Amino acid sequence: MTDDFDDRALLDHVLVLAPYRRDADYLRQLLTEHDLEVRICSTGSSVTPFLAASPGVLVATHEALTPDVVTAIGAWLETQPGWSEMPVVVLLDRSSHQTRVKDALGKAWPRARQIFYQRPVTPVELVSGIQAAFLARLRQRDVRDHIDREIELRRELNHRVKNILASVTSIFEMTRRGADTVDAFSEDFRGRLGALSNIHSAVFQADGESVSIQEIVDLTFEPYRLPGHDRVITEGPRIMLSREAGTTLALCLHELATNAIKYGALSGTVGQVSFTWGHSDDDLWARWAESGGPPVVEPARTGYGTRYLRSALASLFGAAPVFTFGPDGLICEVKGRLSRVTRNS
Amino acid sequence: MTPITSKAPLRILCLEDNPLIVLHLEQMIEDLGHVCVGSLESLVELKDRFESQPVDCVLVDIDLADGRTGPDAAAWLFARGVPSLFVTGQETIADAHRHVVIDVISKPVSSRALRSGLDRIASRPGHH
Repeated sequence: MTDDFDDRALLDHVLVLAPYRRDADYLRQLLTEHDLEVRICSTGSSVTPFLAASPGVLVATHEALTPDVVTAIGAWLETQPGWSEMPVVVLLDRSSHQTRVKDALGKAWPRARQIFYQRPVTPVELVSGIQAAFLARLRQRDVRDHIDREIELRRELNHRVKNILASVTSIFEMTRRGADTVDAFSEDFRGRLGALSNIHSAVFQADGESVSIQEIVDLTFEPYRLPGHDRVITEGPRIMLSREAGTTLALCLHELATNAIKYGALSGTVGQVSFTWGHSDDDLWARWAESGGPPVVEPARTGYGTRYLRSALASLFGAAPVFTFGPDGLICEVKGRLSRVTRNS
Repeated sequence: MTPITSKAPLRILCLEDNPLIVLHLEQMIEDLGHVCVGSLESLVELKDRFESQPVDCVLVDIDLADGRTGPDAAAWLFARGVPSLFVTGQETIADAHRHVVIDVISKPVSSRALRSGLDRIASRPGHH
């Protein structure tokens, strides 16, 4: 059988190697009284399956350590992962040649924390020694769990970075297609990347997984608000969006705001825009309305911004948005399901 | 732009929940002379709305709006004889489910990688 190390082991018991029944019984009773779980490997049985059950601490009497057993334990110790260093408590006889035994075991088991006692040993001394070894072992288990968590976080980080790079690549390609000059490209690309970056910071500062519509709105319109002369009116109840939905809404609002500044109500000095939203039960609605700006007509050529708005709002709300190009300015309305934007996948 | 393939254009569905990526994929599909027939963003939506409308190929992300359901979606399509490609940043998971797709394309997607994946579908015996 293989004796590979079980990397999810609880390390929750003491393995006792004692060929003499009396020693085994004594140790079992003593350790059990102190709330330690004990398993006994008696003479004749192979130690390997006992080791494969991943004991927290190994306690061995000197006479249990025959050359075969020492080799088997050494081989198993070699399979330990980096965080693991199994404590081994060895009970020596008064007559044993201590230095020689320590040297031999030190060579045979370089990956074990060895603790030696000379018999007779008082119960209190032995128990406290084994308990200390056990606690050290549980700390090793904590280290293992931290390492696992770190590996998981690194994987998740890699995944998110790739998603962001994929989004940036898409923004780049679409902006490139829509731009007539390098300057126009630079301006649009910088603006869109800025919107992506801002929403990333906002979500991170919140709790990393959700963000309110109001926060996204504030983030988007902060640069355009002037004290005492508010041309951007926003109103709606507190609704928390998932990270993905929040990112999409932020990019949509960026497109609407930039369009209003270039061609719509914010292009002159007097126009206003309002963004309002609300819900009843699971019905969610949002409305962007410009007024007081130049009259607008539906553009002959659908630009990247408009295409993105249509497809992103449809994906966000689960229903297509309605654009009205009127004499007062652009109106964009969309209705959908609240549960669609608040869930976290 | 000259169509890249001389064969009939493929009708392609995107299973992807990031609207930015959908838009980019649509654009690349059109540039390659194929047709993007739409996009869906979850396994649930796929099962609900994948109707009799003829589709030659589906581009499937691993993480969708209802979780890590891309592999199930690809298996579901595979069972119906619809070829698909994984388009994802999760290559390890994609490779583990490779048997249900024709190819795996890494994100960020390059036009060249997409073309090579779609060419493999276009040149399959079943496709005219």
